[in-house]
Amino acid sequence: MGTINSAFSLMSQALDADQAALNIVANNVANASTTGYTEETPNWQENQPVEIDGVSYGTGATETGATSVRDKVLEQRLDQQQQLASASSARLTALDSVQALFTPDSGSSSSTAGDIGSDLTSFFSSFSSLEANPTDNSDRQAVLSSAKTLVGDISNAADSLNSQRSALDQEAAGVTSQVNSLTNAIAQLNLQIQSTSPNSDAGTLEDQRQQDLSQLSKLVGINQITTENNGLEITTTSGQLLVADGSSSQLTTGTVDGMTHFFVGTTDITSKLASGGGELGGYLTARDQDIPDVLNSLDQLAYSVSTSVNALNNTGTDLDGVTGTVADPLYIFNEPAAVAGSASAMSVVMTDPNQIAAAGTGDGTGDNSNASAMANLASQAIVNGQTPTDYYSNLVSTLGSTVSQVQTENTAQNASVTQLQTQNDALSSVNLNDEASSMTTLERSYQAASQVFTMLNTIMASALNLGDQTAVS
Amino acid sequence: MRVDPNYVTNLVSSLDQTQLTEQQLTSELSSGVAITSLSQNPVASGENVLLLNQIQQDDSFTQTSSLVTGQLQVADSTLGSVVTELTQAISLATSANNGTVNSNDVQSISNQISGILDEVQSLANTSYQGQYIFAGGQTSTTPFTTSTATSPAVTTYNGDEDINYLETPNGQKIQLNVPGNQIFTGSGSNSVFAALNSLVADYSTGTVNTSQAVNDTEALNTALNYVSQQRVTIDNSITQLGAASDAVSSEQTQLTTAQTNLMQADVAQVSTQLSLSETQQTALEDVIAQLNSTSNDLFSKLPS
Repeated sequence: MGTINSAFSLMSQALDADQAALNIVANNVANASTTGYTEETPNWQENQPVEIDGVSYGTGATETGATSVRDKVLEQRLDQQQQLASASSARLTALDSVQALFTPDSGSSSSTAGDIGSDLTSFFSSFSSLEANPTDNSDRQAVLSSAKTLVGDISNAADSLNSQRSALDQEAAGVTSQVNSLTNAIAQLNLQIQSTSPNSDAGTLEDQRQQDLSQLSKLVGINQITTENNGLEITTTSGQLLVADGSSSQLTTGTVDGMTHFFVGTTDITSKLASGGGELGGYLTARDQDIPDVLNSLDQLAYSVSTSVNALNNTGTDLDGVTGTVADPLYIFNEPAAVAGSASAMSVVMTDPNQIAAAGTGDGTGDNSNASAMANLASQAIVNGQTPTDYYSNLVSTLGSTVSQVQTENTAQNASVTQLQTQNDALSSVNLNDEASSMTTLERSYQAASQVFTMLNTIMASALNLGDQTAVS
Repeated sequence: MRVDPNYVTNLVSSLDQTQLTEQQLTSELSSGVAITSLSQNPVASGENVLLLNQIQQDDSFTQTSSLVTGQLQVADSTLGSVVTELTQAISLATSANNGTVNSNDVQSISNQISGILDEVQSLANTSYQGQYIFAGGQTSTTPFTTSTATSPAVTTYNGDEDINYLETPNGQKIQLNVPGNQIFTGSGSNSVFAALNSLVADYSTGTVNTSQAVNDTEALNTALNYVSQQRVTIDNSITQLGAASDAVSSEQTQLTTAQTNLMQADVAQVSTQLSLSETQQTALEDVIAQLNSTSNDLFSKLPS
């Protein structure tokens, strides 16, 4: 009787265990579409066998709970790649807006408006026309109007770049609050995880922490260090502590030179964040490196063209026989004081076309030697050792190369993220076919245990009836 | 080995990529432009700036040169008229010098040469679009004025010796004007006006100092030859300008072809790519439809 009873208890344990395992499968199925959910598998443990008279008797199995199917190394690798991909995505978006200001001119006459390269050529060509007819009013007007077109397009481009820079600044500043709320949440989760499961995977809590980490990785470049009792320490890529187990350091912002800078405590980590990765890294790289590069080039172009043309015009003789002086200079453009800011401040100050000094110093007003000299500026190395057109051509191809390079980087990084994501999903995502198969197996196991239970019941009845079939059924 | 159960998501992102390609190709076809942003081809974008610069310069020079040619032709035909007038003056002077004409006729010849002098002076003061063409750089000052206070009268040049040049896109300099003093008041016996003024004075009294008159006629003859020489300078400029303009036009044609090849879409190639992309899109859609049908799920095979 004793062995029959123990067989009964063994079977009821088996039924319990199967139910618990089915519960886990049901939970997996229910969470198949939950973002960040990691598939759980039931843990089975063989009960301690009993030894009687040297014979070992099995005592069944117990379901001891669920384990999340997780590869922390893979997850961390995914986070790191995500940081790179987010950085290049954010930078690429910013650069796309920048290069939209310099759309290549297809060469048809309708598209020449707004192209700085064409404007430069038109401006210097207008001096060539004036060279042929130095006293002609319409040719003089043409010089001023092409100067205005050039100035309009250069200063528009500079203004647009400046406003794109401000927009990036705001977006970067907006990331701060998201980063802070995520680091806060991770610190809270650290505390819960350390208290509930210091030695093993924390399941759903760990899922939440991983999801927060992946969010944080999209925003900012981070390093993760696992500490004792399943805690986690997070630093920026450059090593600034953001989360230490249960406490988090807030990222704060302040304005330095008109741009938002980022601080942890009193340390300015802006330039480190720029190279660190994440959206913030991308925004800051575009804001502090890419756009200023283009702006500087435009400034240099505006500065050199303005000062060279002004200097020549000031030494010649205008249509009224006047030569410019220090006190009363004959300037076509406003004379820039410094290179920085020249592009957006560039303007045409001359209103009277007669003031264009086509004639050389001391020559009659019908002379064209100064107009000729100004036309020749187009082929002289007046901008950083290059002709204006060569300089602009370089600006355009340098910008194009940068965008193209970031595009390539971004494509490669996204492919890598996809690949890692696929690997991670292959491991941790809920596969419904797997669940269906597990469920069938567990169901069968449950049915089998029930069958054994029924048989044991029959055996028990036979034993109770001592062979008489009718007493107990 | 387990596989990623979310493969349909990956296929959808491939589908997005295909559609992006199709969009790009369609816009190339509709605009005819292959490079719509710098990053598509940074080198070609930079090259394009340089090509367009050269094309625009050439275009502008072609327009300028046709205007300038007009001005040079006016100068040339003016000098042609001057030559005709001077030839007539010489034949009048020769007839006065041969001693067969009476004093009335000599005075009449003096008046006729005086008329020619006025005519030549007005030709020398020719303006084009309001600017005197034989005044050097002083194009707003009447270049030649005559003072009759003395005998012979004196014609003065009020312009300067400034010469304007037009530079072609290739750097060649073409002379645009000849200062009036070079043509009409050249030094010594080259001066048209001095010779004409002297002749008018020689014949004004009706009595001819033959040796003086013959010398002055000789001087006018020399001056005429000198004017013809100066005219050659202008003719040369017209020829140079024509040649430069032709060269620039043919360069412009070549550059435009190069620029078109660089920037324009190759319709046949783009169409082929578009067609390939469309096939790929259809295939992807079919695969997704197949994979996504619920009958492939193991759950659907379980007894209900």
